[in-house]
Amino acid sequence: MKRNKTMIIVFLTPALVLFCAIFVYPILRTIVMSLFKVENITSGIAQWQYVGFQNYKSLATTSLFKTSLLNLLRIWAIGGMVVMSLGLLFAVILNSGIRFKNFFRAVIYMPNIISAVALATMWIQFVYNPRFGLLTSTFKLLGMDSLAAINWTDTTHKFWALLFAYCFGMVGYHMLIFSSGIEKIPQELFEASTIDGASKVQQFRLITFPLLRSVLKTNITMWSITSVAFFVWSQLFSMVTADTQTITPMVYMYLQVFGAGNVISERNAGLGAAVGVFLGLCVVIVFVLTNRLIKNEDLEF
Amino acid sequence: MKKRILCLLLACVLTLMVIGPVFAEGKTIVYWSMWSASEPQAIAIAEAVKAYEAASGNTVDLQFKGRTGMREGLQPALDAGTVIDLFDEDIDRVNVAWGNYLLDLEDLAKATDYEATAISGLIAAAREVAGGTLKSIPYQPFVYTMFYNQEIFAEAGIESVPTTWEEFLAACEKIKAAGYIPFTTDDAYVMTNFGYHLARYGGQDLVIDVVTNGNWAETPEVLKVAQDYEDLYNKGYLSSTFGTAAWPTNQNGEFALGDVAMYLNGSWLPNEVRGITGPDFQWGAFAYPTVPGGTDGLDAGNFGGQVYGINKNTEVAEEAFEIIRTVTKGEYDLKLSVESVGIPADTTNTEWPAALAAVKEVMANLAVRYEWSAGSENNPNMTPIIKENFQKLCTGNLTAQGFVDAMEAASN
Repeated sequence: MKRNKTMIIVFLTPALVLFCAIFVYPILRTIVMSLFKVENITSGIAQWQYVGFQNYKSLATTSLFKTSLLNLLRIWAIGGMVVMSLGLLFAVILNSGIRFKNFFRAVIYMPNIISAVALATMWIQFVYNPRFGLLTSTFKLLGMDSLAAINWTDTTHKFWALLFAYCFGMVGYHMLIFSSGIEKIPQELFEASTIDGASKVQQFRLITFPLLRSVLKTNITMWSITSVAFFVWSQLFSMVTADTQTITPMVYMYLQVFGAGNVISERNAGLGAAVGVFLGLCVVIVFVLTNRLIKNEDLEF
Repeated sequence: MKKRILCLLLACVLTLMVIGPVFAEGKTIVYWSMWSASEPQAIAIAEAVKAYEAASGNTVDLQFKGRTGMREGLQPALDAGTVIDLFDEDIDRVNVAWGNYLLDLEDLAKATDYEATAISGLIAAAREVAGGTLKSIPYQPFVYTMFYNQEIFAEAGIESVPTTWEEFLAACEKIKAAGYIPFTTDDAYVMTNFGYHLARYGGQDLVIDVVTNGNWAETPEVLKVAQDYEDLYNKGYLSSTFGTAAWPTNQNGEFALGDVAMYLNGSWLPNEVRGITGPDFQWGAFAYPTVPGGTDGLDAGNFGGQVYGINKNTEVAEEAFEIIRTVTKGEYDLKLSVESVGIPADTTNTEWPAALAAVKEVMANLAVRYEWSAGSENNPNMTPIIKENFQKLCTGNLTAQGFVDAMEAASN
């Protein structure tokens, strides 16, 4: 087929221009901005003050930023394991021929269609409420007074309370991605293995899981991106003032760019940009590592 | 035929849309507000704006942006050249963070004799934060004070409100003996307990010095604060979830439902919990007590308000100021006060909501203005760390000396 270069250019140019304007330019501007002290995010370039790598050095020596990174790591690693495991388990169960499959799938996915604000309020004010919360009431009913006395939002438990609530909402989303991957696996493979005497566990270990590698990679990448952008839940669990148990790099970035909630603090959008660059690098590293560690299956089906 | 008629109608509508504004009477004032449209303050402001429009023939483009919307969006919008003539937000944010965008209002205020019926302390505060000139007009004044449940105080046999720490401890003992928890707060406000107490010992400058320069171990007053709150915990005067419950759990729960006697908070508290307390709740208020050997008295406290600012580039400054006058004076100031259970900004509106009657005396005695939480949140890199350790102190998970050591270690 003869290629018409003019037509290719005509059709590609608008997309390329838009891509550069919407993606490439902001990325480059953020990288450059991270080398400057910028009071306001919309300050003109003439008002930027060059500081070299000072913003990065400042992040490296600020214990609160390090705390936020540790929280992010815990959310990504522990939350990731829980969400991936449960998502995969539910997906396998739902595709094992159980009755009311659509109903259960809708129920597990439901938290994703509810606003995070409503969900977090429900968890804080209904489940974790120390006076008449679901956990307190249930433990009291069961006579487990020591568990009923736990304040789930104190400094010891708040991070875990937040993580549990967040994972509750995320399982359905990743379950759906796993489920679509499982549905693509030809049914004959399972039928043949059943005739050969394979148990359900063996079928999962030797057929389902190996054929879901690319889906797992997608899920890990998606989870990494949403974890890095962890913000709303953190804000809702620590309204008004930030908290060591719930602060994440995105919240720290917000504080630097827009200032603290109650007080007029010094703002530095350049420092916020440095946080953004650092987080972007984290996602790229996770993506590269995932691609290296989880090889695509050679099988075609 | 139908198509022709439809085309004709469409053409007429478009023509009207294009030429309509040219023949429209009056001016348009764009007003960005920090309230959310469903809040009582927003409802009262919207009524005042309608009244202004009816009286002046001008049009007000009133947009309720919410607090986050203002914090994130106002400055970028102004930088981008968006027409915003009038805006409102917290007194410090408007004057400090957005000070460069403000029109000096001295002449407009003089021309209308605005100050004759304004709260002088608030106007002075507005001038102070703007560097000596009036660049904002306060409304919805607030004062940070110790709220208490009068019924519990009466039942406990407390005849007068405590003014010193010794009296405060005695009151706590009586409340505890009467079967109530004396004192509570939520995580959102626990820093104000720390800030106020340290400021009572050494003034706000000491608080700011400690939190910004990390002089925790070098400042003996810090240990005194920690010891006082450790003492409150050890004597059973603090709620078991003091400062650790996620806001608004304790203000809506144990305080509003009548299990706890006292809560240190802003004068917006009665409005926030009125749906829970109902109209019969007996509100009381007193200034945070003085401490032994402390520098600050009952006349020092955090007070302020929302303020109006006018864009220095506006072409409708007089009209914008007239809107301010409509909202902050007379009928609509009173309406705002009643609807939001707030303090009136107009001194001729002498009738305060019943829930705030006791606050009136506290406010009248104030002479020294603290910043928010007496400056204890002035170092955002340290605020969450101070908060965590103070929460631990108040729930028995850290001793007073342990608190000082933890803060000293964190600040190094």
